[in-house]
Amino acid sequence: MSTLSTLSPQKILEAKIVSHCYFYSANSVKPSFFLPKPNTTSRRVRPLIYRGATGGAAAPEPQPMSVANMASSNVDGTDDRISRISSSIRVIPDFPKPGILFQDITTLLLDPKAFKDTIDLFVERYKDKNINVVAGVEARGFIFGPPIALAIGAKFVPMRKPKKLPEYSLEYGTDKMEMHVGAVQPGERAIVVDDLIATGGTLNAAIRLLERVGVTVVECACVIELPELKGRDKLGNKPLFVLVSSA
Amino acid sequence: MFAAENGLRGDPRLKGISEAIRVVPNFPKPGIMFQDITAVVSNHKVFKDIVDIFVDRYRDRASLWSGSKRIYICSAIALAIGAKFIPLRKPGKLPGEVISELYELEYGNDCLEMHLGAVQRGRRALVIDDIVATGGTLSAAIRLLERAGAEVVECACVIGLRGRVISVAKRKFILELLN
Repeated sequence: MSTLSTLSPQKILEAKIVSHCYFYSANSVKPSFFLPKPNTTSRRVRPLIYRGATGGAAAPEPQPMSVANMASSNVDGTDDRISRISSSIRVIPDFPKPGILFQDITTLLLDPKAFKDTIDLFVERYKDKNINVVAGVEARGFIFGPPIALAIGAKFVPMRKPKKLPEYSLEYGTDKMEMHVGAVQPGERAIVVDDLIATGGTLNAAIRLLERVGVTVVECACVIELPELKGRDKLGNKPLFVLVSSA
Repeated sequence: MFAAENGLRGDPRLKGISEAIRVVPNFPKPGIMFQDITAVVSNHKVFKDIVDIFVDRYRDRASLWSGSKRIYICSAIALAIGAKFIPLRKPGKLPGEVISELYELEYGNDCLEMHLGAVQRGRRALVIDDIVATGGTLSAAIRLLERAGAEVVECACVIGLRGRVISVAKRKFILELLN
């Protein structure tokens, strides 16, 4: 990523995590119509732009996303894709409980281009990183994980809630999660995929389970992050890559 | 119809798929021989072969897809042919408005849900599942799609259990035949 070379060391860590990450805030919650049209949703997409002169990340006034605003040539190709992805996700209030705004990715799946772009963005990031295993967390990780695994030549390992896998399963702690014994080998390199990171509990359980059998978890990858819930902190030293951040 | 009897006889990919499927006895209940398909997706080549076979068959045929509850392969196929993917899920998993269909399983009862408005009337659809036994799940999926006005072109499954009554009225395309 060419932005990295223009940043000071402490900023590089942030850049690694938040590059390609667009922040949007839902000004209002839409009533549920099924396919939000791009550019007419209530979300504002505010690109996170790294400028060498100001020395760090700033969220500027909303601007049209022209090539001139982008500090990195890498971002040109991705900002149309990410805004399409972002606007294809619908928010459902009070699901599964009152007070929760649920990020529903099924509308993204009804937009083949947005779905393809989502997978492409992950594949571009991981295809030359020698990843042997894509671990996907039940159930929406099973939608994004397998296509990524196929495209980068890795195997897909489902991680499930207990009692779904027959026999010979490992469990981890109070965040119950299972994986087949023998699905992975010690020394393999893995990424963990889910549609969304909230508190980070699920991803943390997946990481611990994989590490227990000797797998190196290189990174966690999610379509959406809910940064207020600070899930990133639960991942310890594992980096997190997300496409969309929902404040 | 079974793939081996329809144009794919002797296809070496089918052998690899067959060998990758694990059978686990007495899961989830005693007496059940569970066909475990997770090993299939752990084998990159076998997984790719399955997706390729379905994509070759459906590339130009269906404009809209529907997944099943066990969805390891569905999204990859939908992606490859540029079709929409609709997850069908157990009750309570899909947010927003849904339509539900009750059905009988090989071992119990269940209910399948689909988002209201996910599919438009007159669109062509495919149902994918990893395994077909009695066809109960597939029938429920077909009913959901037809209630929403879609036309179900075919059901595609990786594994079919020979000898079971497959009562689904639609054509089925099954990759592997097991006893």
